[in-house]
Formats: sequence, structure tokens, C-alpha cells
Amino acid sequence: MSKNEINLIANLKNEKTRELAFQNLVQQYQERLYWHIRKIVINHDDADDILQNTFVKIWKGIDKFREESGLYTWLYRIATNESLTFINSNKRRSLIPMNDTSEFLMNNLETDTYFDGDEIQLRLQQAILLLPEKQRVVFNLRYFEEMKYEDMSKVLETSVGALKASYHHAAKKIEEHLTKYD
Amino acid sequence: MDELNNIAPKLSKIKKDNPFKVPDNYFDDFSARLQMKIDAENAEPKKKENKIIQLIKPALGLAAGFALIFMLAYWPLNTFTKKQMAKNNDTELETNEMLYASMVEGIDLNSFYVLLDDQNGEVHFDDDDLVDFVNTYSSDYEIFSETNN
Repeated sequence: MSKNEINLIANLKNEKTRELAFQNLVQQYQERLYWHIRKIVINHDDADDILQNTFVKIWKGIDKFREESGLYTWLYRIATNESLTFINSNKRRSLIPMNDTSEFLMNNLETDTYFDGDEIQLRLQQAILLLPEKQRVVFNLRYFEEMKYEDMSKVLETSVGALKASYHHAAKKIEEHLTKYD
Repeated sequence: MDELNNIAPKLSKIKKDNPFKVPDNYFDDFSARLQMKIDAENAEPKKKENKIIQLIKPALGLAAGFALIFMLAYWPLNTFTKKQMAKNNDTELETNEMLYASMVEGIDLNSFYVLLDDQNGEVHFDDDDLVDFVNTYSSDYEIFSETNN
């Protein structure tokens, strides 16, 4: 844990400095957490709602935070859980029957006005959305955010070995999908 | 990246540019919007105190509605019907008694003796009928003098 992070946690736990420390925390992590959430839920408005809920949970749960897990991994864990909960609850609420989450997310991608990628990026996103939920999160964290497996292990509460295997399978599936449309 | 080159060469060649965008000034405004949400969440516990009342309010309304319907319709109707039925029963009894009395009074003496002599007739008087007849047509004095002779 960096010195900056240790100071930030100490200020967050102190009632007198909490509000200012929280503003610093938001400034430091809002973009990273947003892009992490956005890649899971695809749609901007959904990502915005989830990011706000994530920070509200962080604000309310700051006293329960155990410092051994690390602030950065704790924030990512909350953001990931919030995103996956959102997807699953949305799937249950949907009036249109959906076979799996991919269908809901694929629809989000096709209708997203804030998608600016070229054809190959669109195909890559489509291939990612076809992955099972856990593999998709592992792939995004490793491929786009280049998160260390050790940190990812704390975020997803999964062993490093299982995460490596998961990433390997995900990359192979995406490669197959890209080859199919080549 | 080396691990990716071996297992997914096509994927490793794709540039990792972010294909997603956000609305203008999104991250500049985010803090202020978040603060508004947190303030709203902090104000919520006051409302939660009344949450139980809010929850049972529809049930209370429904119960009050049923009670009102009972008061306005069922109870008066029930009470009125019972009274009316009791009254009808009394009237029926009174009517039967009056009919019987008028029948007895309507018979004159000649008809009475004819009926007594007619052993083969279909109409028969029992002792009670005779007592009723005597009571109707004879005073106490007449009955006394007749029984002493």
C-alpha cells in the first residue's frame, strides 16, 4: 500500500477530515472505476448510475473497511459487485425473455450512442460480450487495465491460478471469434 | 503481452484504444452530482422512521373501508331484517288467532247444533272447540246457572 493510500485511509476514517478525503478519493478513482464499470455494463447511463452507487456504498461503508485488503482492490470489488448485480437484476426485470446476459449487453452495445470504435473494435467488444460473466471481468481487468493477477485475486476473491486459466480461455475464445469473421 | 502473442496473435495486434466515449464534462460534473445523491441518501433515514406506517397504510385503509361498508350497509340491513322478520312472525301469529276467533264467532247457534247432530259430517268439534264456543256465546252467569241445574 502506498503512502498516499495510507494517508487517504487515515483521513477517511477520521470524522473531521472525512468529507475532504472522500472528495480526493472520488477525484483519484472516478475515471478508473467508471471505465471498469462501463466495460462490464457497456451503456453510459447505466455505468453512471452504478458509479454513483459504488461511491455511495464506499461513503457509507468506510468504517467497515479493513485495511488489510487495500483501498484500491476494495473499491474495485465494490464496483465489480455493483455492476454484476445490476446486470443480473436488469435481466430479471426485462420484459423480453433473454437467453443469457450476452444478449442484453449486445443490445446495449448496438444501441450505445457513445461507442466510437472502428469495425475491429466492435468485433472485439462483441467477442468479449459472448464470454461467460467471470471470464469477461477477468479479461477486461487484465487486457484493458493490465491489473496484476495478485490484485485481481483480491478483487474477485479467486486464486491466481484460476484467474490465469480464466484469462487464457477468454483470450482463446476471442481469437476464435475474430478468426471466424476474418 | 507475450502470453497473448502465443495464444491469440490476432487479438494481440489490435490497438488497445478505448472505443467508448462519455458526454462532455462528464467527469468534471460527477463530484457535484455524487454529492447531491449522498445528501439525498443522508436525508432518507428521517423518512425511514415512518416506513412501517407507510407500509401498513394501504392495509389500514382497506380495513377502514371494510369497517365503513359494514357500518353503512351490512349492520343496518342485518338489524332491520331481523326486526322485520320478528315483526312478520308476530303478525302471522296474530292473524292466525284472529282468523280462528272470527270463525268461532261467525257460527250461529242453529249452525252449531246442526254441526253437533251431524255425526257423519266431515267437520268435528273437540272439547276445546266447544269450550271456546260456549265462552263466546254465554256469559259467566249463564254458564253458572246451567251447570247448577
